[in-house]
Amino acid sequence: MADKKKISAKALSRSFHHWYYGNLTCFTQEHMQTFGYLTSMLPIVEDLYDNKEDQQRSMNTYTAFFNTEPQIGSLVVGITAGLEEARANGENVDDETINSLRAGLMGPLAGIGDSLIVGTLIPVLLGIALGLSNGGSPVGAIFYIVVWNLLAYFGMKFAYYKGYELGGKAVEFLVGPTGVALRKAIGTVGGMVIGAVAATWVSVKTSFELKNAAGKPFLQLQKQLDAVYPGMLTAAFIILCWWLMAKKKMSPIKVMLLLVVIAFVGVFIGFFNPNLKY
Amino acid sequence: MVISWLQAALLGLFACLASMPGMGGTSFGNYTLGRPLVGGLVCGLILGDLKLGILCGVAMQVVYIALVTPGGTVSADVRAISYIGIPLAMVAVKSQGLAASSPAAAGLATSMGTLVGTVGTVLFYGTATLNLAWQSYGWKAVEKGDFHKLYLVDWVLPWVSHILFSFIPTLIMCKLGATAVTAMKDALPMDGLAMKTLFTVGALLPCVGIAILVKQIVEKATDFIPFFVGFTLAASLGLNLVSAAVVSLIFAVITYELQIIKTRPVAQVAIDDDEEEEDI
Repeated sequence: MADKKKISAKALSRSFHHWYYGNLTCFTQEHMQTFGYLTSMLPIVEDLYDNKEDQQRSMNTYTAFFNTEPQIGSLVVGITAGLEEARANGENVDDETINSLRAGLMGPLAGIGDSLIVGTLIPVLLGIALGLSNGGSPVGAIFYIVVWNLLAYFGMKFAYYKGYELGGKAVEFLVGPTGVALRKAIGTVGGMVIGAVAATWVSVKTSFELKNAAGKPFLQLQKQLDAVYPGMLTAAFIILCWWLMAKKKMSPIKVMLLLVVIAFVGVFIGFFNPNLKY
Repeated sequence: MVISWLQAALLGLFACLASMPGMGGTSFGNYTLGRPLVGGLVCGLILGDLKLGILCGVAMQVVYIALVTPGGTVSADVRAISYIGIPLAMVAVKSQGLAASSPAAAGLATSMGTLVGTVGTVLFYGTATLNLAWQSYGWKAVEKGDFHKLYLVDWVLPWVSHILFSFIPTLIMCKLGATAVTAMKDALPMDGLAMKTLFTVGALLPCVGIAILVKQIVEKATDFIPFFVGFTLAASLGLNLVSAAVVSLIFAVITYELQIIKTRPVAQVAIDDDEEEEDI
């Protein structure tokens, strides 16, 4: 066989879709995305090798632990598809090449994916969707379903095929200077939109007031605070939660429990009063 | 408001699809169906009160706007928030006779959803643990070269885990929980300390969700600035989110250009940049 082996378009497409759907379906703490990876590489391996021994050897390569942000991680699956093709053509690619590349990419890509996709893109889309669903309209939810799924599907497809075509070069873009600049720029959008989401959707208000002898309030704390900076109390509580988690290393659940205590004490002394009535 | 067995079963099915790790896949299951806003839409349709469902979903979405699960550690379970928390919150809001769009309803929904979501992490660990059994079956198949069993392991067998840890808990919690939540009305009067606290907690909890996001973007003190500019645009100038996002784009462009300039003198990395570097 003098011809260079090439993965068929059908096998690539199956491989991508197996990853798109199954990257986490059989999740355990021990082997998080490993089985998703195996099902994704199987069409490639079967397409490239006819004999059982080669198939067995190649599948064994992908039994190593894998876990990253799965959506941006489709880039890695694409890269290994390209490497497997190179190995089938007798190039110097062995288990170690493939697995050290996979291990080396998992961490950085998880960081980028978590902050860019889960920490910025999804909250921005959800923030906009929340606005559209204000008052109970389904428009916002539908907007999120459509826009997010189109972005996720085609974005992952793009990453997979770029990984396959460009191999390691595809990663250089992400961690190179252009990639860093792009991420900082996106971070700015994320920061501002999150600020706007906080101001729009979070509302911490105090009912604290001081009354004069005639029973008329002469100091309403909420009004005073808003005169200084609208939403000041809300911002203060967000900073408090951030400080507890970031600086005091408290877990979100502990912070939530602390808020329950603050709420109870606040209601008790009359600082908070949700003014409930039937 | 009552939840029938059929409705509870449908909610259970969506819980299977929407979990992390769910049978709907990551992008469509966890990040679409699992988001409380979408859960609100689905629950609203199933329980026949779309508006109330969406409003409960919106209230809870703010708390969980940044549900990042680094390395598979979870602090809240999306299937429990969206398909146990939202239905029960809807029943609670109805039985308390609150207006669906009132801040009180949002506060109640948030408190209920967060409670259920935190307790629901048990379901996450249950699913992940039972999946170990399917994986060990998968390893044997790989050893024998029986590769097609991998599809069974990755796509079919985890359904068993989900029937046990998603479907059945959702079915039972929704069906029985609705009765319990309705009974709450008589046990806890609205003007009592307990209910006032519950609603206040509901107003405070979203701060945690936002703070988790802030934690992600803030590395040094100046990183707070974009956040507060955005906050001011909305709180003081009254811009809506789309407008605030548009304003932020100009800052994004400036940041990008500055970063590119900053990295240029150091240069040498990418081949494409060579020509431009000679200009300096």
